[in-house]
Amino acid sequence: MLKQIKYLSLLIAMSFSISSCEKVIDVKLNTSANQLVIEGNITNQLEQQTIKISQSVSYTETNTYPPVKGAVVNVLDDNGNSWVFTESAPGSYTFGPLKGEPGRTYTLKVNVSNTLYTASSIMPDSVVIDSLDVKVFAFGSEKQKQTQVHYKDPAGVANHYRFVLKVNDNLSKRVYAENDRFTDGNDVPTVLFYAGKNDDDNELKTGDKVDVEMQCIDKNLFTYWNTLSQQTQGSPGGITPGNPPSNISGNALGYFSAHTVSKKQMVVK
Amino acid sequence: MIGATVKLQSPSQNSGIATNAYGFYSLTAAEGEYSLVISYSGYQTNTQSITLNKALKFNIELVSASDLQEVVISASERKNENVKSPQMGLNKINMQDLDNVPVLLGEKDVLKTIQLLPGVKAGGEGTTGFFVRGGAADQNLILLDEATVYNSSHLLGFFSTFNADAIKDVSLYKGGMPSQYGGRLSSVLDVKMQDGNDKEYGLEGGLGLIASRIKAEGPIVKNKSSFMVSARRTYIDLLLKASGDSALKNNTLNFYDINAKVNYKFDDKNTLFLSGYFGQDNIGIKDLFANDWGNTTATVRLNHVFNNRLFSNTSLIFNKYSYAIQLLDENSSAEVKSLIRDFNFKEDLQYYSNNHILRFGLHATHHRIAPSDITTSANSSFNPLSIENRYGLESAVYVSDEWTISDKFNLLYGLRLSQFSLLGPGTINTYNGSGEVSSSSTYKSGEFVKNYFNLEPRLSASYSLNEKNSIKASYNRNTQNIHILTNSSTSSPTDQYVMSSNNIKPEIADQVALGFFKNSERNTFEFSAEVYYKWLQNQIDYKDAAELTANKDVESELLYGQGRAYGLEFYGKKSKGKLTGWLSYTLSKTERQFDKINNGKYFNAKQDRTHDLALVAMYNLGRRWSLSANYIYSTGNAVTYPAGKYNVGGLTTYYYTERNANRMPYTSRLDIGATLKAKETKKFKSSWTFSVYNALNRKNPYAIQFRDKENDPTRTEAVQISLFGIIPSVTYNFKF
Repeated sequence: MLKQIKYLSLLIAMSFSISSCEKVIDVKLNTSANQLVIEGNITNQLEQQTIKISQSVSYTETNTYPPVKGAVVNVLDDNGNSWVFTESAPGSYTFGPLKGEPGRTYTLKVNVSNTLYTASSIMPDSVVIDSLDVKVFAFGSEKQKQTQVHYKDPAGVANHYRFVLKVNDNLSKRVYAENDRFTDGNDVPTVLFYAGKNDDDNELKTGDKVDVEMQCIDKNLFTYWNTLSQQTQGSPGGITPGNPPSNISGNALGYFSAHTVSKKQMVVK
Repeated sequence: MIGATVKLQSPSQNSGIATNAYGFYSLTAAEGEYSLVISYSGYQTNTQSITLNKALKFNIELVSASDLQEVVISASERKNENVKSPQMGLNKINMQDLDNVPVLLGEKDVLKTIQLLPGVKAGGEGTTGFFVRGGAADQNLILLDEATVYNSSHLLGFFSTFNADAIKDVSLYKGGMPSQYGGRLSSVLDVKMQDGNDKEYGLEGGLGLIASRIKAEGPIVKNKSSFMVSARRTYIDLLLKASGDSALKNNTLNFYDINAKVNYKFDDKNTLFLSGYFGQDNIGIKDLFANDWGNTTATVRLNHVFNNRLFSNTSLIFNKYSYAIQLLDENSSAEVKSLIRDFNFKEDLQYYSNNHILRFGLHATHHRIAPSDITTSANSSFNPLSIENRYGLESAVYVSDEWTISDKFNLLYGLRLSQFSLLGPGTINTYNGSGEVSSSSTYKSGEFVKNYFNLEPRLSASYSLNEKNSIKASYNRNTQNIHILTNSSTSSPTDQYVMSSNNIKPEIADQVALGFFKNSERNTFEFSAEVYYKWLQNQIDYKDAAELTANKDVESELLYGQGRAYGLEFYGKKSKGKLTGWLSYTLSKTERQFDKINNGKYFNAKQDRTHDLALVAMYNLGRRWSLSANYIYSTGNAVTYPAGKYNVGGLTTYYYTERNANRMPYTSRLDIGATLKAKETKKFKSSWTFSVYNALNRKNPYAIQFRDKENDPTRTEAVQISLFGIIPSVTYNFKF
């Protein structure tokens, strides 16, 4: 609800400041030493599970992130199982096929140059996408099409979701995270406003292929993705940006997420 | 009339005083022959000969100088009040200057004009939000005829709630607040509405590009009772409809407000004032979304003269701020409502004795906050939700004394004892450091949940080196028990209010200031320089991804810390002659410190800007034309830029090191204006005001965003967003 309110308010504000404009500028930035970044996912799909380890780079460099090789990566669950992940590509540590189970707590242990990083995540019960459709927003004669996901939220428990939206295989530049604070137990239609490669590419067109992945995540991961989501809203006057709170100990960036996955695809009519 | 000069002159004596906020004055002198001289800027000086052999009372009306032909305003003498008075950190806005200062879209605006004063920083381009001496936007006490105005902005902050037509007097206290004011840390903006003319009827108004306004005033019973009604409405949405842009056609975007005041003089000793304000904003998109918000205030004030030394004002005040948001989409319809409402009682007494002006009184406010009430239709995907109301009682007793110790030495000292109680009914949680409920209790209606008492000393002193120069020093402590929760830097109609509680302690500020004041060329030039240092305690910030809206555990999302602010302010003003105006410059630093932010180190507050400069000039070209210009320069806001980047979830994600350690580009803007007076007749006057906002069409920074380059996704770029380019406007004003 709040996202929708924010998005619509922003549209109005923009319609008022008709003369607003943007330009690329040079800014003076601090540099930073490379930081360790861990991106770990365990899903409820029987598939190869992957933990990626890389390094951050200074802002001024290109978007290529050095992989961290030779780490020792273990994943444990609260049922006494443990799996040793092996480096199948530089910085990419895999095991599988392996299927995570909802309700289990998974713990990640990563040893990089004798420094240990650990993280835990609980895989929530699965909630699946019921259907996808196109939501049309009518601003007078101008119509804007966006993706709408329908799902049934389980009553009586706190649920947290993350969505991954791809349009014609292009990943949306927005982060989508929501919880059931206002929608507990209901049939929920949620609109995923697309953010494409530029401002003219922020809506769906007839014939577009849309892929949506819905993840049920735990509360820490929700805070992580929601922090990022607030920063990628791109609204002027937004909140002060900061690093999202990682669930990994030892000051590593990134996250370790045990989540369920549900996927659907549609073609825009 | 506030601040008119009353002088008692004889060959052997020369004493003077300024009238108080209700136009009263009291002077004591030895028996003898005197002339009583009353003067006020813009009005004819009134001189009367009197023989003082008993207590005398004079009610004097001044005639506006501009009503008389060939009277040049500069002929009226101004007292060197700014040099002599112990008060410092005070700026007054001359309502006539307001007519001339060019502003965005020609809407003259009190709040935008005060942003041109030293020590006052604008919240953002075009906005009415302001920061005083390093304080936050919610630390300004904004009073309209003594009623608190919680949200002073219209249209997402582009305009203020104050219709300049209806306003008599604006005073901004940045420091050294007298003890009758309390409840906010950083400033007091005391706005007083105009009284109606009790002699003759008048009608005036203006037609602007985006708004029109009209004001009527006149006697109800001649010399006894008068009224004033002023109203304003914007029609931006009508313009949008006319624009033919179909995307804008179905948007609602308007506001209106009404100010009204009535007074009735029962006799020489009792006068009753009734005043009120009502304003409402409406924005929306047809069939999708609607949002309205507004303030309501009402003040009843009885002004009583006990005798020629003791005056009292008794006021009952109501004020309310509320908003409603409607989502109109069929399967996700919902309405969110929120309000904050106060009932106030104020008793203020002033006693004049030989060298003292004593002021004392009490103030009590009952607050009710309804944080969020969500109602939904049966098939909506949203659930209804109601967050418990919160009640509070805020009261204070105060005393102050303005003591003229000698010709050279003046002292204004006082004490305010403030009390705040959070009241039941309600279930009140206490949260531990990690935001979990550590205890929870349920209270009955009227039960005290938590009490806070604070003693607030106030002191300012002036020492006149001679008639033209003085030095002043002040110290004041202020406390605050109503806090706005917002993690956005722009003012928003959906700001949440919370009161001090088990978790939130009263905010406290201590400020010391030292100043030098100088007038020259028979008070044509006024100059002041002030330095200040301010300590802030119990400041509020937010955890990551804090959920501030419709959250019953909102207090678990807060972080508490401290702040410091210091600066140097220069102000030079020329108030007589063809060329008038002022120059203000501020050099300042504003920082905050929270254990859980920025590794516990001090960081720049968002509103921290090193340099702020404003130049306002008005030039009278003769009877018909006058020109005006203002120029502002300010260092960019403190912002957080990324130092590094990495990839998660397939997206470029930024790595931040220090909070607010970077700077936006500077802001520089020139606005120009011209006023043309049409030929006048006895009955009718009219004028045209032309203004050009951002005349140099400079792209000033509003926000900076970082993104992947469109053509080269392996690189990132910084993008500056600017709001307003050059915007010309014209307004037609008339007066019967």
